[in-house]
Amino acid sequence: MYFENAKDILVREALAAGLDEYEIYYTGSSQISTETLKDEISSFSGGSGSGISFRCIVDGHMGVAATELFEENELRSLVRRAIDNATVIENDDLAIIFGGSEKYSKTDSAEFEMPETAYIKELALGVQAKTYAESDLVTDGTQSGVFAEINRFELVNSKGLRLSNTVGLGGVFVQAVINRDGEAQEAFDFSLGFDKAEALSATAVKEAISKLGAEDVPSGKYRIIIDGKQMRSMLSAFSSVFSGKNALLGLSLLKGKEGERIAADCVTLCDDPMKEGSPVQTPFDGEGVATYKKNVIENGILKTLLYDLSVAHKAGVATTGNGQRGSYAQQVNIAPFTFYIKGGELTETQLLERMGDGIYVTELKGLHAGANAVTGDFSIESAGYLVENGKKTKAVKGFTIAGNFFDLLKGIEAVADNVKFGLPSGFTTFGSPDLLLGQMSVAGV
Amino acid sequence: MIDQRILEEVLACAMSTGGDFAELYAENTRNNSIQLVDGKIDRVVDNTYSGVGVRVFLGQRTVYATTTDLTREGLLACARSAADILGELRTNISVCLDPTAVPDFHPVLINPTTADMRKRIDILKQACFAAKDVDARIAQVQGTLMGVDHAILVANSEGLLKEDRHIRTRLIVNSVASENGENQSGGCSPGRGMGLEMFDTFNPAEVGIHASRQALVNLSAGYCPAGQMTVAIENGFGGVIFHEACGHSLEATQVGVGMSEMCGKLGQQIANEKVTAIDDGTIPGAWGSVNIDDEGNPTQRNVLIENGILKNYMIDRLGSRRMGMPMTGNSRRQGYTYEPTSRMTNTFIDNGPDKNEDIISSIEYGLYAKEMGGGSVNPLTGAFNFAVREGYMIRNGKICEPVRGASLIGTGSQILKDIDMVGQNLERGQGMCGSSSGNVPTDVGQPLIRVKKITVGGR
Repeated sequence: MYFENAKDILVREALAAGLDEYEIYYTGSSQISTETLKDEISSFSGGSGSGISFRCIVDGHMGVAATELFEENELRSLVRRAIDNATVIENDDLAIIFGGSEKYSKTDSAEFEMPETAYIKELALGVQAKTYAESDLVTDGTQSGVFAEINRFELVNSKGLRLSNTVGLGGVFVQAVINRDGEAQEAFDFSLGFDKAEALSATAVKEAISKLGAEDVPSGKYRIIIDGKQMRSMLSAFSSVFSGKNALLGLSLLKGKEGERIAADCVTLCDDPMKEGSPVQTPFDGEGVATYKKNVIENGILKTLLYDLSVAHKAGVATTGNGQRGSYAQQVNIAPFTFYIKGGELTETQLLERMGDGIYVTELKGLHAGANAVTGDFSIESAGYLVENGKKTKAVKGFTIAGNFFDLLKGIEAVADNVKFGLPSGFTTFGSPDLLLGQMSVAGV
Repeated sequence: MIDQRILEEVLACAMSTGGDFAELYAENTRNNSIQLVDGKIDRVVDNTYSGVGVRVFLGQRTVYATTTDLTREGLLACARSAADILGELRTNISVCLDPTAVPDFHPVLINPTTADMRKRIDILKQACFAAKDVDARIAQVQGTLMGVDHAILVANSEGLLKEDRHIRTRLIVNSVASENGENQSGGCSPGRGMGLEMFDTFNPAEVGIHASRQALVNLSAGYCPAGQMTVAIENGFGGVIFHEACGHSLEATQVGVGMSEMCGKLGQQIANEKVTAIDDGTIPGAWGSVNIDDEGNPTQRNVLIENGILKNYMIDRLGSRRMGMPMTGNSRRQGYTYEPTSRMTNTFIDNGPDKNEDIISSIEYGLYAKEMGGGSVNPLTGAFNFAVREGYMIRNGKICEPVRGASLIGTGSQILKDIDMVGQNLERGQGMCGSSSGNVPTDVGQPLIRVKKITVGGR
């Protein structure tokens, strides 16, 4: 009802202002989460909110304004603000309000239901107790938590298009903290869904314990396997290089590389908005364009960059349906959906054997600062395990790996079969299997 | 923002199931940014954020509920949902609020969210066109002039009722230099708790020139060598080293739950005696300053480390309950969707005893980190990292050729001891600090310092 009322006011105001082309994008969300400390619930939070944005074309330029304040005066001013904002735009982008795609996919996931508060409290306390029971080394600071959220999206425009989508997801996390003789370590694990929490405590505690007594490594060149969990973060840090807009602006070194080899043969990078089992499947992007699955890199060849309507127009190609709007507050931004490197044939053990000697990197920290998408360069704090004769022999920490993302893609020697997906952020989820990267520079002691 | 009687009713409702403290936080934020790319105005971001968060305490447990429905019914439903989670007991509580005016130590002359758009565009273009004009190799310039007008209200069951407004302005310019198929980047992004009068203190063109100069330096730089070396870290944003290496570990968020390497170290020598570090949320017009924190307490100047000795932590209300220590005016949050927690404001290492020229000349072989990028830390282990945006090798006490792609890593407790020279040109730089209560503006700062040994991530 929030949406319908607000929409009516905005449409009335748009017509009064003489606007022909406009669009309304609405997000309604609700979420709950709880966390534990020691053996009790330490915090619980829940909430609901709505926001709406209005965008319109004035003299060929797009103007946008958005609000969470659903008061008549504010909504009426929103139209005026969007018009004012349009009038200062100077770019030569073709502004488009989209009339609709021929057909849209249907989501295959069952409707997500918000769990009861009593249920999530009990679940969190159960996981917390299990985490403490895993080892005597588990200490205070250990947290378990449960979270759930539902987001509804509505898109209505002057071309008669009306689309809606609801996505919901929930999950459980464990942050295990252990202490042995004054040395503290931690490890984090999560699961999507509430029925897969059973294994989290054991994996988090085991991983934290395995980091105890980690040693420094001498600086030098090492062969590297990167854990899929870390590679997906690396992919996230560099995902903007696949934006067609950044390419046009000279901000991505992939400019003009479509059809060329940019990665090793064994690399296929896929963008799948309707990925089976994904809790954030979306049949349409933020401009109302039907989304579809595509390989961005196929067997090492760059097949396409990602586009929205106006950038595609400028580049002389069709939109790839990647004009995302993660919420009412965000303007159209080119971004992938479920974006992952496809798994190969090797098991993790076989990948370690293939490497022989080197470092298995299981932690990368500070990618937001240490990775530069414009140059491709990275130098990142790392931790992991020394691998000798194909076996993990000891934990290592306090070193960096440094290289260049574009070189890294070309140098991938082998791909494991264990694709690991992260938590969705908006409509975007990154995934990767473990990769054997070949030789890299390591700075240690 | 909300009628006092409704606030009292909502707080009473929040307390009705046995909570021992309740708080309501309301926000109305106008965010207005103009973005320029490729020499043209590309986008205007114009958002209003508006909502309420109700928090109820019972001992060290908290319940937090949020809504964007600001009607009496919407607010009561929000309070009731929080109260219901805490318990079923029904008690009649009455709350009587005592509105207190908040003195404004950071008065703003020209509101950056409502000032004439042409004037703002002119400032942005001055910066970006100056950046482009630096050199023919500057291939792309992106700029943003950001204005935020953040009005808050805090009311709690102890009778506190305060309203405040934090206005801030930031100019961000990123330049890309390009030659022979290679790109290098540079940036500059000053911000203040001020309006457009910020540009009376410096010229927007300087910001653009700074960004492009840095991109060109990096274009001519080779890769930084890897390994342990002595590093001189310059002033301003160089202070990110203290922010990451130590600041986060002194927040009650971590200390209160035993998740910091700084737990139990009050009164101990944790740093070289040349190190005095301060968190000061009162500096007039500074990026990280606010009149009151997000629990309604006035901000303070807190000496965290004095001559190497740990003097205090940064403590919010929940942290205060957990640690049995007083609050320090450090409770912050991005907005109503976040429960507040202890955060830094303007945090810096104070001037020390060493002359800057002595610091450089003391280094036989090492790195001069002229400008730093962001970083991160694990407060439990103290392991931190941060990126060097502009660096030079030092040989025989002289600053030599530029190097790129470096990062610095270490652990907080160790580096505090290894800062063995502290210079005298204290300046602050601006950042957005991300943590559990969202992104908040913080200043970092320091004079030129020397770290006798740190791992430099290079090639």
